[in-house]
Amino acid sequence: MKATTHSEVTIHSLIGRAGGEPIWWLAVIAIITAAGITLISLETEFLLRAQELNLWLPTGVYWKTLMQYPGGGVSWLGTYLTQYFYYPWLGVGILCTLWLAICGMMAYVFRLRGVKLLLTLLVPAALLACLTQTGYWIFYQKLQGHLFVPTVGVTIAMLVLVAQRLMDSIMRGNMAVCTRAAWIAIVCIGGYPLCGAWALAATGMLALYDMGTALRRDTNASGRAALSSRSEAMLLAVTAALLIAAVPQVYYQQVFEMTQRNLVYVAAMPSFRYGQDSYATYRLPYYAIIAAFTITLAVTFWPKRLALRMKPAVQAVLTGLLLVCAAVGVKSAWYRDINFTKELAMNRAIEELDWERVLRIARDGSSTVKPTRQMVLYKNLALFRMGRAGDEMFTYPEGAMQQNVPWRVHMTQVGGKLIYYHYGKENFCYRWCMEDGVEFGWKAETLKFMARTSLLNKEWVVAKKYLDLLAKTTFHRRWAARYAALLRTPEAFDLPALEASVQAGKPLMNDDAMKEFAPIMHLMTYPDRLDGDNTLVEMYLLQTFARGNGDDPLFQEMTLICALYMKDIPLFWPRFMKYASMHPDIHMPRHYQEAAYLYGHLEDKVDISHMPFDQSVRDSYERFMRFNTQCGPMTEEQKAVAFYPQFGDTFYYFYFLVRNQKTN
Amino acid sequence: MTSNKKRRWPLWAVAALIIFHIFVFAGTGLAIFGGSAKVPDTFDDSDSLPVIYPDYADVTVPVNIAPLHFHIDHDGAATDFVTHFGAGSEEWTFGGEAVCPGSKAWEAMKQAALTADGCIQVQVYAKRSGTWLRYRCFGITVSTDSIDPYISYRLISPSYVTYEDLTINQRCLENFDESLIYGNMINSDEANGQCINCHHSQYGNPDRIQFHVRQYRGGTVIAYDGKVRKVNLKTDSTLSAGVYPAWHPTQPWIVYSTNLTGQSFHTRDVQKIEVQDTKSNLIFYDIETNTVTPVTRDSTELDCFPHWSPDGRYVYYVSAHWERLDTTALDYELITHYKQLHYNLYRMAFDASTRTFGPRELLYDAASRNRSVTLPRISPDGRWLMFTEGKFGVFHIWHNDADLYMMDLTKAQPMAEGPHPVLYDADHLPAGLLPETANNVEREAAADSLREALGAQHPLPESIYPIAELNSADVESYHSWSHDGKWVVFSSRRTDGNFTRPFIAHHDGNGHFSRPFELPQQEPEYHRHFLRSYNIPEFMLGPVTIRPQEFAATIKDEATNATLSMP
Repeated sequence: MKATTHSEVTIHSLIGRAGGEPIWWLAVIAIITAAGITLISLETEFLLRAQELNLWLPTGVYWKTLMQYPGGGVSWLGTYLTQYFYYPWLGVGILCTLWLAICGMMAYVFRLRGVKLLLTLLVPAALLACLTQTGYWIFYQKLQGHLFVPTVGVTIAMLVLVAQRLMDSIMRGNMAVCTRAAWIAIVCIGGYPLCGAWALAATGMLALYDMGTALRRDTNASGRAALSSRSEAMLLAVTAALLIAAVPQVYYQQVFEMTQRNLVYVAAMPSFRYGQDSYATYRLPYYAIIAAFTITLAVTFWPKRLALRMKPAVQAVLTGLLLVCAAVGVKSAWYRDINFTKELAMNRAIEELDWERVLRIARDGSSTVKPTRQMVLYKNLALFRMGRAGDEMFTYPEGAMQQNVPWRVHMTQVGGKLIYYHYGKENFCYRWCMEDGVEFGWKAETLKFMARTSLLNKEWVVAKKYLDLLAKTTFHRRWAARYAALLRTPEAFDLPALEASVQAGKPLMNDDAMKEFAPIMHLMTYPDRLDGDNTLVEMYLLQTFARGNGDDPLFQEMTLICALYMKDIPLFWPRFMKYASMHPDIHMPRHYQEAAYLYGHLEDKVDISHMPFDQSVRDSYERFMRFNTQCGPMTEEQKAVAFYPQFGDTFYYFYFLVRNQKTN
Repeated sequence: MTSNKKRRWPLWAVAALIIFHIFVFAGTGLAIFGGSAKVPDTFDDSDSLPVIYPDYADVTVPVNIAPLHFHIDHDGAATDFVTHFGAGSEEWTFGGEAVCPGSKAWEAMKQAALTADGCIQVQVYAKRSGTWLRYRCFGITVSTDSIDPYISYRLISPSYVTYEDLTINQRCLENFDESLIYGNMINSDEANGQCINCHHSQYGNPDRIQFHVRQYRGGTVIAYDGKVRKVNLKTDSTLSAGVYPAWHPTQPWIVYSTNLTGQSFHTRDVQKIEVQDTKSNLIFYDIETNTVTPVTRDSTELDCFPHWSPDGRYVYYVSAHWERLDTTALDYELITHYKQLHYNLYRMAFDASTRTFGPRELLYDAASRNRSVTLPRISPDGRWLMFTEGKFGVFHIWHNDADLYMMDLTKAQPMAEGPHPVLYDADHLPAGLLPETANNVEREAAADSLREALGAQHPLPESIYPIAELNSADVESYHSWSHDGKWVVFSSRRTDGNFTRPFIAHHDGNGHFSRPFELPQQEPEYHRHFLRSYNIPEFMLGPVTIRPQEFAATIKDEATNATLSMP
C-alpha cells in the first residue's frame, strides 16, 4: 500500500513539493528574466558572434569527432544550443529557461521554500558569470559549445539528483540502498563519456545528497537506525569517491585515446590556457558554482539540532546578502570593453557590407579609449570600399590599443580573416581559417570564409563541400543556399566576363553578390608568389600592396594608400603619379595631395610646382609648419596633443606625430 | 470537478502500443536499409550512369573488401530511389538515396558474383515527377585476389603550421572498423604541441612499425616485435633526426632521409603551400645497435624519399641538384626559385655484409624534362617501380599536376649523368626573348614556357609511362603496394582538390590497373563531411596491437640517443 502511495508522483505534486509561496517563485522568475534582458541588451553583438563561432552539424562525423573526448555529449548539446544565439532572444530564452529549470530542480531536490528559494539563484548567477566573462576567449576557447556547456552540465547534474529523489520516494530499505548505489555507478560510469567532469560532479553531489539525507534522518532517529543510515551513506560516499577517482582512469586506459591522463578529471570543462600561460581567474565562476551548491547543501542538510535559531527576517537578510554578493560577482566577472564591443559590431557591419555603419562605429566618440589596430583596419577597409580613403583615412582616430586581455591577441585569430578576405588575399584568409579550424575547432564563420575564398579561387567542388556542410546547419542554410546559387554561374568569378556582363545589362551576379565579390576580384589582380605573413596581418597587407604594381584602378589605389600609410616616399611617388594618370578627370583626394605637397617640400626630388594643389592643402601645410615652429621646444608627445585639434585630420599629423603603432 | 482517481491504461492497450512502436521502428529500419524496396514495374530508360558518391561504377574490388556503400546524388527533383543488385541468379533491392547493403548482403553478393561471372550488376532507379527513370547499369567486378586486411594512415587537416588532433589510424578493409595507433592529443597540451608523422612498417608487418614525434617529447618511436622504444636519431654530424623512412625488407635496418624543411605560402595559386627542403641527406639506422651512419652528405644534392628494393640489394631515392646562386640566404633563394628544383630518380647498391652503399646510379633524369620525381615504391616482385611526378619540387601532395607513373625495371638501365640543365627564371632569360619593357608576370610566364619547351625536347624513357587508369586532373601522390603486388593504395585529391582520400586499385601484374575505388565507408557521404586528409596510406598485414596508451607511456620517457658511426 505504501509503495502505491509513493508511486503516485505527479508533476503537480513535484511542483507542489518544490513550491513554497508563489511570490518567491515570481521573484526567481523576475530575476532570471532581468538577467536575460540585460544579457540581450548588453551582449547582442557578442551572442551573434558566438553563434558564428560555433558549429553544430547533424552528421555522424560531427558526433564521432566530439565523442573522441570524454564529455563529448555535453559539448554536442552545448554546440546545439549555442546555435540558437542566431536570434539572441531565442538563445537567451533557452538559457533562462534552463536556469529556471535548474532553480526548480534545486528547490525540489533540496526542499527549499520561502525566502530560501532565492538561494537557487546563486547557481544561475555563477552560470551567467561563466558566460559573460568570456570576452576574447570566444576566439580561443577550445571546448566546443563552451557558452552553454556549464548550464547543460549543471542541468544534467540536477536531473540526476531529481531522479534520485524520485527514486527515494519510491524505494525503501535495502532496495533503496541498492538503487542508490546502482544509480551512482550508472551516473559515473555511464555519464562520464557523455558528460566528462560534469558526470563526476553529479556523482559527487549524489553522494553528498545521500549523506545529507542520512544526516537529516538522524535528527528524527536514534540508536541503530541512525547508525545504519549513516553507515549506508558513508558506504555510498566511499563508493562514489572511488568511482570518481577510478572511472576516468579506466576510461583513459580503455576508451579515450586522445585525452591526456592529467586532464581526465576536468574533461568537458573549459581550459583557460593560451600558449604557455594559464589564467586561473577565469575559473572563479566555476568555483562559484561549487560554492553555490555547497551553500544550498549546507542550508538543506544542516542537522536541525545543530541549527542556529534564526528568525525569518535574519534568514531573509542573509539570503539577500548572498544574492548581493552574487550580483557583485557577476558584475565584476562581466567582460565589458568598449573596443571589444566595437570590434564585434564593426565585424558584423562588414559582413553585412554596411560600410557606413562601420564608419559610424569608428567615429563613435562615446569613449576616449583609442582604437585597436583591428578597428583601424576595419575603418580603412570601409573607407576604401566606399571610395573615400583618399579623403578621409586620416580623419578618424588612430590608435594601437592592445586588446584588453592578459595575453597577446593575434589579429589572424580574431578579425584578420575578414580583412584578408576583403583585401583579396584569399589564400591567406583560407590559411588562417584552416589553422583556426585545426586549433580551435570548426566554426560556421570559418566555413563561410572557406566557401567564399574557394569561390573566388574558382575551386568549385571544395566550395560546394563547405556550402553543403553549412546547409546542414539549422540557421546558416539560407546563407549557404545564397552562395551555392553562385555555383551555377562560375563564369561570374572571372572579372572581365563579369564586367562584360554588367555592361551588356545581363549581370552574371545579383547586386548583393556583385557588391561583395567584384571589389575583391579587382584586388586579386596580382601575380602569385611564395610568401608568409608571420601572423602580422597589417604589416603584410601594407608591405605587399605598397610594393605591388598593377593596372587595375582599385588595386593601384590600394598600392598608393599603403605606400602612404608606410610613409615610404620612394614608393609613394610612382604610385601617386600612376594614380594621377589613371584618374585624370577626378579631383585628387585630399590626403594624396597632402602627401605629395609634404614630400615635395621635404625632399625636393620631385618638382611639385606644376601640380594643382588645393589651396586648403597648401594653407593647412603652411599652418602646420608655422605651428610647429611655435611649438619648437615641445616633445613629440606634447606636440601630438597640441597639434591634434587643428591638424589631427591631416596626413602631416599622421606623418610626423603618429608613430609606433604596434600592430598585432 | 476533476477526479482524483488515476486513469490506468488497460493491459491490451499497452501491448498494442508496444507492438505499434515495434512496427514503426521496424518499418523505419526497413525503409532505411531498403529491405522493403521493390523494383518499379514501369520506367523510362536513361542512357547515362547514375551520379553516385563515391563513384564505384565499373570498379574492381577484392573479395575481402568491406561493403561499398554509396549515395545517389541528385538535383532535388528526384523523390524516390531504388537500387537493384544482381549477381549470378541472385538479386537484392534497396530503397533510398543512401545505398547501404550492409555486410551480410554484401558478402552474399560477392559470393554469388564469384560463382558466376565475377560481376555484381547495379541498376539505379529514380522517381522524378512521378515517373521512374532507370539509369544505365554499372558493374562491380569482384576479384579473387584478396587485399591486405589493413591500411594505416595519418589523419590531418590539410593545414599549414598547426597540428592539433593528429592521429595515426588503422582501418580494417574487410569491414568499417577503424582504430587509433597513436594520437598526439594524449601527450600534448596548449603549451606543448606535438606533431606526429611518417608512420611506416617493415613491409606491412604490424609488429614492426615506426613513427616520429616532433617537438614536445620528440623522438622516433620504434615498435619492434613487441618492444617499444623512443630514439633520438639526430647526431652532431647529421642534418636532423630521421624523416622519411625506408625499412629494409627483412633486417632491422631503416634508411632515413634527414631534412631541413620549410614551407611558404602561395599568394594566389590554389596549390596554397610549397614545402621545400633546403638540405637533405640519407642516413642508415641499425635498430639493434642503435647506430646512425651517414649515407650521403653532398651539400649540393637534396636526397630524399629512400626505398629499398624487395631483395634488399638497392636503395632507390630521389635527389635534386642545387648549387648556391650566391644571392641571399639559402631558404630565401630556394623559395624564389622553387620551380627550378627538380628531383631525379637514383639508386645505390647495398652490400649487406659490409653494410655499405655503392655509388649512385641515375635511373631517370626527370630534371632534363623539367619534371620532378618523388616517392619511388617497388612492387614486391621487384619489377614495377611506381613513383609520383610533377613539374617541380618534392612535396607533390600540394601540386595538383602530380600524377602516378610506372617504371618497368626490367627495361630501365642506369644512365650517365649529363650536365645540369640551365636554370631559367624570370630574372635569367635568354637575351632577346622578351622586350625590355616586359613586366614580372610576363617574364615569369616566359620562363615557365621556356622550361616546359626545353623539357619537352626530352622524351619520356621507354621504361616509364603515366598510369592513366589511376591518374586524375588533380593530385595523386603517396602510394603503397600490397604484400603480393596485386593491389595499390594511393592518395588523391580528385574529389575536391583539397582533401586527400585513399583510393585502391587492382594490379594485373603486367603494369595495368583497374579503375580505382575510394576507401569504402559505412556512411556513404562520410568523406564529404570529413575535414581531414588521409596522409601516407600504407598496407598492413594485420592491426598494430600496441595500444596508444602504451605508445604514450614510451613517448613520455626520454629518447635514447643514437650513436654515430662514420662509414
